Amino acid sequence: MSSAIHVEDLSVRFGSKQVLDDISFCVDQGQIAALIGPNGSGKTTLLKTLLGLVPMHTGEVLFFDRPLNAFREKIGYVPQRFEFQDDFPITVTEFMNLAVAQQLDEKAIVGKLDEVGLPASATSSLLGTLSGGQLQRVLIAQALLNEPELLLLDEPSTGIDIVGEAEFYNILKNLNKQRGTTILLVSHDVSMVSKLVDQVICINKCLLCAGPPQTMLTQQKLTELYGKHAAVHNQQKHKH
Amino acid sequence: MEFFDLFQLPFMQRAFIAGIFLGALLAFLGVFATLRKMAFFGEGIAHASLAGISIAILAGLSPLPIAIAWSMFIGLLIFLLERRTRLSSDTLIGILFTSSMALGVVLMSFTSGYQPELLSFLFGNILGVRPTDLLIIAVATIIILSWLLHSLRELTYLSLNEESARVSGIRVETKTLMLYMSLSVATVLGVKILGIILVSALLIIPPATSRLLTNTFRTYMIGSVIVSELAIIGGLLSSYWLDIPSGAAIVLVGTIGFFLAMGIHYSRT
Repeated sequence: MSSAIHVEDLSVRFGSKQVLDDISFCVDQGQIAALIGPNGSGKTTLLKTLLGLVPMHTGEVLFFDRPLNAFREKIGYVPQRFEFQDDFPITVTEFMNLAVAQQLDEKAIVGKLDEVGLPASATSSLLGTLSGGQLQRVLIAQALLNEPELLLLDEPSTGIDIVGEAEFYNILKNLNKQRGTTILLVSHDVSMVSKLVDQVICINKCLLCAGPPQTMLTQQKLTELYGKHAAVHNQQKHKH
Repeated sequence: MEFFDLFQLPFMQRAFIAGIFLGALLAFLGVFATLRKMAFFGEGIAHASLAGISIAILAGLSPLPIAIAWSMFIGLLIFLLERRTRLSSDTLIGILFTSSMALGVVLMSFTSGYQPELLSFLFGNILGVRPTDLLIIAVATIIILSWLLHSLRELTYLSLNEESARVSGIRVETKTLMLYMSLSVATVLGVKILGIILVSALLIIPPATSRLLTNTFRTYMIGSVIVSELAIIGGLLSSYWLDIPSGAAIVLVGTIGFFLAMGIHYSRT
């Protein structure tokens, strides 16, 4: 099986500050992988580096053996917070069409919205009037327009309630199963990660572990990653 | 004089043609300027153009091309400094526009006697649009509008969210620089009809009015252009009939339109 994402010796510096140090990992095609780590560990920076939004100091990133620019069209991205002026007068249909060079007809857009559980009536809604959960679904639907082979999501359940969160992860699971889309998501929710993903990549400035959640999310690893208290907290969460 | 006789006058024909071109251009650019909260950019560029106009007058050159080149230089400086300093856009525009205007005032102090060109740039004089000015306005408008229409998707996306636009492969820096250059040129062309002091009104009022009446991005843009053209045509006609300055008349007609739209908006909600 070929690597969907191949990261080798990746380092990022902001001025003299080392933000990510010598990170290497692979995500196989068709996998769901999660980047986990404490706040400030560099998860979002790593994701943004993969997307070319943050420059690498050293290292190499390949997608299906190709550099970013040769594979960009096949990557879908859902940011943690899609910041925009909520009075921007743009409908969901118009927003969806921003991601594609050729304008899509209403039917194609309705089809994509349906895949993420949104009704056809959402097409004429103004983007600024959507709830957090609806906006996240629209962002995923937009990311799916180019039939991506790889989906990158940064804390995708931010701003969604518990019920919405469960539905949201079901959508991701279905996408992965039905389309074979490789998914890499940043998450702080270890209990969700343990149920959903095939691989966890633990970082705290540098790579601490990478592998299946069953073997990687041990108390020892979690203590190493989050500190003593966080590991206990996560264990209790699992028991519940 | 009969109504249609008005359009037999060559200076009125040039005024209407220049106004129609600039109305579309400024309204279109104004959509992006207001969405990106860059309304102050137009104000700054217009004031900064005084230095270019002064240089041209001192050198005995045609003011419009020199003012355009100067404003593009200021626009480029704003673009570069925004990316190389931690200062906000407003602060940089404030510094560059006041210093460029100060330079213009100093340069003007070296000229003597009455300067009709300077007055026409300060307060605008659409009725004084010469055939060469009209040619520059028409060519620049066609080039910029063609580019805007060609880049509409990219400009809309990066105005909405720069990061997502960048991820989708849009060359954000190039498009932003081109937008700044287009705004600089269009603002200086607008100075010719509205003057340094009033030109930013055509970047702000039409999009603001259209926003009150529309609910999609497409109708917002079209509405902005329609409002702008109505303000220019209405302003020019009232200027002619009431014998009042054309630039001020255009702005006031636009403002009346804005308050009418506000009334419609509130009656709907």
